[in-house]
Amino acid sequence: MADTFEITDEMRAQIGIEGAPWTYEVTTTSVRMYARGIGSDDPIHYDVEFAQSQGFRSIVAPLGYIGTPIYLPGKNDPTFGFPRREGGPRLNIPFKGLLDGGTETEYFDYICAGDVLEERSHLADLRMREAGRPMLFVTNESVYRNVSTGQVVVRQRLTSIHM
Amino acid sequence: MGQVYIEDVQVGQEIPSLKKNCSTQQLVIWAAGSGDFYQIHYDKDFAQATGLKGLIVHGALKNAFLGQLLHDWISPAGELRRFGCSYRGMDEPNQDILCRGVVTRVFQEGGKHLVELDVWTENPQGKRTSPGTAVVALPSRNGG
Repeated sequence: MADTFEITDEMRAQIGIEGAPWTYEVTTTSVRMYARGIGSDDPIHYDVEFAQSQGFRSIVAPLGYIGTPIYLPGKNDPTFGFPRREGGPRLNIPFKGLLDGGTETEYFDYICAGDVLEERSHLADLRMREAGRPMLFVTNESVYRNVSTGQVVVRQRLTSIHM
Repeated sequence: MGQVYIEDVQVGQEIPSLKKNCSTQQLVIWAAGSGDFYQIHYDKDFAQATGLKGLIVHGALKNAFLGQLLHDWISPAGELRRFGCSYRGMDEPNQDILCRGVVTRVFQEGGKHLVELDVWTENPQGKRTSPGTAVVALPSRNGG
């Protein structure tokens, strides 16, 4: 664990850098698994015929689920699944501890099984906070576009805490 | 629960709460659904080696619980515009997590009837472990 830490100019220069886009898939299986994980029993997340009877193209992703990044061995993080995209920001973070800091999601449309999304992500913010030990807050912002319609469906900011 | 309309809503009103209590099995199912396999959520030895007391509930799962709270309130005709929260406290498996929301603003924008809320998860001691906000669009009994 680092006792002292400062955000360097080199790190700040990474803010705004966008890596290569990545493809996210929304499948019937993944939507049902996520819905089971949150403990929802709403058939709109499980039953394709019911969802279609409500006017949706297929079962609807629970709020918070924006598809699963396509996993390619060596190109995704094996623990978190997120892509290690080419050209993305590079931060040499000395901390081993990692916690979720926050999630903000703006929706422009529903996400349904069968959707394929292109995600573009950039480093949006870096902040330090002292709470007995240094903590680095890293915020990434992603925009998800439906590949078949070209429409932006979600904008999301994820903050992780390194300490 | 029937459809909630904009005419049913006023500032200060609390929406129906949602109680959760995660088993470790539920955490593993959600890990499979989300793709987040960080070991602090299912491997007690790993979690303790990082300095934690034990296993903790994923922050993003609590965010999804708040999504379900809002989904259950506005369905079927309402639409979620945005929601988010920060993770200010840790929640443990096999401990109640109460998801709550209170209306803070009712307004119109772009011809839509919008409602802003404070939302949060609460632990058994009453501490808000994931405070946040949300904006939803609701239908009107008068159309629109």
